[in-house]
Amino acid sequence: MARLHLKDIRKSFGETRVLTGVSLDIADGEFVSLVGPSGCGKSTLLRIIAGLETQDSGRFEIDEQRVDGVRAADRNLSMVFQSYALYPHLSVGENIAVPLNMRQLNALQRLPVIGPFLPGARGRRRAIHAQVARAAEMLDITHLLGRKPGQLSGGQRQRVAVGRALVREPAAFLLDEPLSNLDAKLRVHMRAEIAQLHRWLGATFIYVTHDQVEAMTMSDRIAVMLDGELLQVGAPSEVYERPADIRVAEFIGSPKINILPAATAADGSIACLGTETRMAVRGAEVRASQLGVRPEGLHLSREPADFTGEILHLENLGPELYVQLRLQGCDAPATLRADAALLPQLAVGQSVHLSFRRDRALAFDNDGKAVETRLLDRTPQTTPASGIKPEQGIAPDLGEERRAAHV
Amino acid sequence: MTTYRFSTGETIKHVVLILGALVVLLPFYLMVSTSLKAPQEIETNRGGFLGQQEMMVDGDCVRQGNAEEDCRQRPVVYNYTQAFEKAPLLRYLLNGVIVTVSIFIIQVVVALPCAYALAKLRFRGRSLVFGAVIVCLLIPVHAIALPLYIGLAKAGLTNSYAALIIPWTISAFGIFLMRQFFMTVPDDLIDAARMDGMSEFAIVWRVMLPAAVPALLAFAIFSVVAHWNDYFWPRIVITSSQELFTPPLGLREFKGEMADHAYGPMMATATIIVTPLIVAFLLAQRRFIEGITLSGMK
Repeated sequence: MARLHLKDIRKSFGETRVLTGVSLDIADGEFVSLVGPSGCGKSTLLRIIAGLETQDSGRFEIDEQRVDGVRAADRNLSMVFQSYALYPHLSVGENIAVPLNMRQLNALQRLPVIGPFLPGARGRRRAIHAQVARAAEMLDITHLLGRKPGQLSGGQRQRVAVGRALVREPAAFLLDEPLSNLDAKLRVHMRAEIAQLHRWLGATFIYVTHDQVEAMTMSDRIAVMLDGELLQVGAPSEVYERPADIRVAEFIGSPKINILPAATAADGSIACLGTETRMAVRGAEVRASQLGVRPEGLHLSREPADFTGEILHLENLGPELYVQLRLQGCDAPATLRADAALLPQLAVGQSVHLSFRRDRALAFDNDGKAVETRLLDRTPQTTPASGIKPEQGIAPDLGEERRAAHV
Repeated sequence: MTTYRFSTGETIKHVVLILGALVVLLPFYLMVSTSLKAPQEIETNRGGFLGQQEMMVDGDCVRQGNAEEDCRQRPVVYNYTQAFEKAPLLRYLLNGVIVTVSIFIIQVVVALPCAYALAKLRFRGRSLVFGAVIVCLLIPVHAIALPLYIGLAKAGLTNSYAALIIPWTISAFGIFLMRQFFMTVPDDLIDAARMDGMSEFAIVWRVMLPAAVPALLAFAIFSVVAHWNDYFWPRIVITSSQELFTPPLGLREFKGEMADHAYGPMMATATIIVTPLIVAFLLAQRRFIEGITLSGMK
């Protein structure tokens, strides 16, 4: 159990600046996801935490103790790797026992052949055996203990890797994209298992992933990283609903948020694609130049509404429907999430009217920073014609599981 | 039933391959055949592969005053017993084992940490060191034989096992081969070992060595064959002590002492010397080829 404290961590590889001053506090027992596209520095940050890489500057503390310069083995952290990194020549049981052997046996007792006969080795080996058995039982891999990693499936190897990590009860677990080598179905399953494991152990988890669905579903807090800096750290719902930066908004959420060009008038009111949005910025100097509308915030409408667009493509996912549109006055295609029941009424090339939910729309300034907005009036929005109720346009709150299955 | 069509290309390929095989196999055929035949048959080139195996009289035996009756033997028995009696062949074989095994073990002890450092550790001058290893690959043994000999002589080490072993303990080829193999071992595995509490040396012996067994087997065959068959170097550093002779040096015994008639025992000795290598290769063949293609992991 541990609190981790990172202060202004910087790291460059040659000319490339990988981390440009990362500060992060992680509470005891918290599940924090580091999420970002590949190459954003999240794995490097994890490796610095693990002690496999040294930062150029900045400090890192575990429970108020500075551990910079302490080697990986002595930090009492354990790590699960993307490739599982099981020792191919050892059986599952021996793999799980390695971290215990290295800590609880001395160099002589670890020797092959004669080691087991040295004084004291017998009792310790028996204790290690019991710990391995307990870990295996917890992960339901007791029947695999005698096998070699080469004989296991991806999911089983994953469990063994987790077993090796948890058997020595570390201060914190570091997981480096542990699910990305699994197939989609198994990934959903293992996601739930890891979250459950975190609840059982109550240990601190740091989870690196490029998959925002994993980050959203498992974490207490998400830390969104881009180009070597932390853009936003917060609860999943906060990061999703109130992204601090347009890059965060674009990275979190699938399908991607629709970014529409907007303009701010002198009185602060925002216009988007030639339509008055009846939204205004808060503050005099603030200018919103882009409007972000999530796919579930756009609705089809029978009557002329905020925007008009042409359907480019329809994707039927079963429970819901993604409609790709070209909005009038906007080059980039927009995506709308609708109920699959609407499919018979829609066709590619058809021209449609669209409205959007003002309370869910996000405004950003020229630099991409989020801008606070207020609604100018509370007049009811255009009532959609019969057949298309607003609720049908809004995606039902699907479990992330279901969404992930199509990612 | 499958029918085979005549193809000129295939035929040419096979003719070339058969000719190549003959060139390689004929000396072996002659060696084994000679080791089975009586001296007269060898001289007149008769008797086919196995020889007639008629009883022959051992001249030395008669000269020592034994009755002719007691000295009659089959040629094959004569050749192979002579191989062991005229020279201490078992001693030579033992020397061969001591020298080749020592060389191989020390080569591994040196090459594995070197290869690990060159493949997996980042340090200043790494590519320079690796370049030096490559350059060492290009230096022929004979070019440095004289300085090596003088060095050993000054140290008073000629006519010892040390002289046979020490010059070969650092194998640039071994370092190169193992380095190439270690490059294919995933970095995650090494990081996992570090997280598990292993030191860098523990990683070499507990993680890399077991993973590298196929490559090591390939290297073992290169190394053991080269030093088991080496005639050049033992001939230089072993000048007086016959008890240090390696098997190839032992072959000279027959040439030197009995210039005329000892082809039978000589070829019997040669057959005995190559047999362990051929048996070892056949046993390890599959893994040997695995190691050469460097596909041990994954």
